Amino acid sequence: MSYVKTSLMLFCFLGGVSITRYALSAELSSDALKTLAVKQCSQCHTFGQGEGPGFGPNLFGIIGKKAGSAQGFKYSPGFLAVMSGKTWDPKLLDRWLTDTQALVPGTGMTYFQDDPATRKKLIQFFKLLQ
Amino acid sequence: MSKKPSNEFQSMASRRGFLKAATVATAASSFGVLTMSDAQAASASFSAEYDIVVVGSGCAGLTSALFSRWHGNSVVVLEKAAALGGTTFKSAFWYWVPNNVPMRAAGIEDPKPDFLKYVARLTRPQFYDPDHPRFGLTQWEYDMCEAIYDSASPAAELLAHKGALPYRHVPFATDYFAEFPEDKAKSGRVLTPKEGSPSMADGGQVAIRTLSSAARRDGIAFKTGHRVQRIILNPKGEAIGIEALKDDDSVVRIRARKAVIFGSGGFTHDPELRSNFLNVPVYGGCAAFDNEGDLIRISSSLGVQLRNMNHAWLCPVTLEKAIARDGSMSGMFSVAGDSMVFVDKRGKRVVNEKLNYNELCQKLFEWDGAKAEYPYLVLISIWDQRSQDHSASNDYGSAIVPPGADDRHVIKSDTLEGLSDQISLRLKKYAGLIGRMELASDFTSNLRESIVRFNGFAAVGKDEDFHRGERSSDVLFNGAVKEEPNRTNPTLWPISTSGPYYAALVGGGTLDTKGGPKTNTHGQILDIHDKPIPGLYGVGNCVASASGGAYWAGGSTLGPMIAFAYRAANKAHVEPKRS
Repeated sequence: MSYVKTSLMLFCFLGGVSITRYALSAELSSDALKTLAVKQCSQCHTFGQGEGPGFGPNLFGIIGKKAGSAQGFKYSPGFLAVMSGKTWDPKLLDRWLTDTQALVPGTGMTYFQDDPATRKKLIQFFKLLQ
Repeated sequence: MSKKPSNEFQSMASRRGFLKAATVATAASSFGVLTMSDAQAASASFSAEYDIVVVGSGCAGLTSALFSRWHGNSVVVLEKAAALGGTTFKSAFWYWVPNNVPMRAAGIEDPKPDFLKYVARLTRPQFYDPDHPRFGLTQWEYDMCEAIYDSASPAAELLAHKGALPYRHVPFATDYFAEFPEDKAKSGRVLTPKEGSPSMADGGQVAIRTLSSAARRDGIAFKTGHRVQRIILNPKGEAIGIEALKDDDSVVRIRARKAVIFGSGGFTHDPELRSNFLNVPVYGGCAAFDNEGDLIRISSSLGVQLRNMNHAWLCPVTLEKAIARDGSMSGMFSVAGDSMVFVDKRGKRVVNEKLNYNELCQKLFEWDGAKAEYPYLVLISIWDQRSQDHSASNDYGSAIVPPGADDRHVIKSDTLEGLSDQISLRLKKYAGLIGRMELASDFTSNLRESIVRFNGFAAVGKDEDFHRGERSSDVLFNGAVKEEPNRTNPTLWPISTSGPYYAALVGGGTLDTKGGPKTNTHGQILDIHDKPIPGLYGVGNCVASASGGAYWAGGSTLGPMIAFAYRAANKAHVEPKRS
């Protein structure tokens, strides 16, 4: 499958979700959430279903998924030691996005987002991503 | 020096009006300089004030910030992206440090004159003269290269001593031209983050983690989502701060009492700058997406001297990932596999596939003057099941990737005919980007002949056409290959006479560019009279490299960066505090 096609599919997929399943307020439209998530995450992560990992694991369906379970991604021993057995829910994601290194010292991901509103929007995007 | 009229500031003085103006302005049109009168500067609503304002959070930015902070300065790091690390995060973070402490401890000698001859020969091959007092380099190039020799090791030691970047020595990492007699220390100059994996490919992630952890530990402030678009000058032309566009489209101004240090990236992801300064048809590259040449645009108003704009740190890339702007794409540092060849659109080998990436990439840009085309604009990597099974890797940009990895760039077929058909279809998809390149009608038969000829070389371990595997740097990035007893050349093995076969399209790219405003050896950005612009510094890929088109060795991007970060921070520290 081509990259162009996949990008298009991702676009359609996200667009479709916003219209059919979720009534979002204007300030949190799915397009705005997607734009934010792409800006914040796409340097390292992929979003499309079945897409391989980038520098980080694929994020499709992350809410409700066991931490450390994304296909084809090699997690660090430090990450697995702390996160194995945990499930990604909005609360855990919020802690993670606040400061990955505080939750798992030494993990490969260095990200700290001290704006709660941005974290909330990202988590809202992840809720759509399934 | 071109200055913005002062009434522009006054017209924007009301906050509401200012924000409105900022929202409607495009980012590009806002780049430049803002000159404030003393009264304006005194009354302006700077949102924050620090001794040193650092722009960028990759290696150049973070190390400039740390060295500045360790002098006791208050420091903020402004990052345009949402997360830290820039291109550095994606790199393996080898750093090339001449005459470093562990090499000295191991008895590896690295005399300065020979070091300078080595870099001179590669940087200015047309002028190189071992008997010339500067070996053919200009005074500026010579001084900059000498500064690298003098300061990279003290910088590396301080970073390690402070726990910001503990390292391990990589004694086997050979220079890319170790066979030159000038290269007395043929290996031993490479350091890499201590906690990196055995392959060292994750060095950038480790370095960004340890550098940023130390920075936060030591009280350096971070602001992400801040795109610096203007340098603020006082009436004397001294830099006193910056103006940044935040990712919510608001504008902030931050005062720098002593200095602004740019450690931002090059212009890999600005197609206009790329096509107007680089003389090669690159398909983007693996630099962070935010590397759009912002300092080039900002400094146009400052009367700087742009230097080395025609060169980049070159690296082949998987064409399809580059075109798709895959954020995780790495340059193809390692052309993996032994039963593997690159062929051109005719199906013929044209290059030593294991040549180091900066040099290999230049084959893709070769110009056919008679046909007025780049005949090798896209090369095709071909491998068999053996290389797929034993050489697949997620590291160093390998085109051969393991199961579960992103393999959409991989073409697979049971036969060479089928493979050719599929390659043709892929090329057709990108026709408008590759000069409408098509496979020759006799591609498959030529490919078959190329494989037979290559297999003959592989059987005896000697590539009579391109001498693959004969230089130490060929072997350095060979990657994993199936063990074969008594093999003399680990880069060669016959390609199977039966399928399946695999292929990937290879194009030219950059790790990042290496041109920008000229600085002196202290990282001070110079005006057109070679005088430092007070309070304004640049380090790394946003400013001019003195390496010309050369890639001296693995880590010769980052090693010089820490040397100049160290020197810039030392100089910025003794700047007077400006009002």
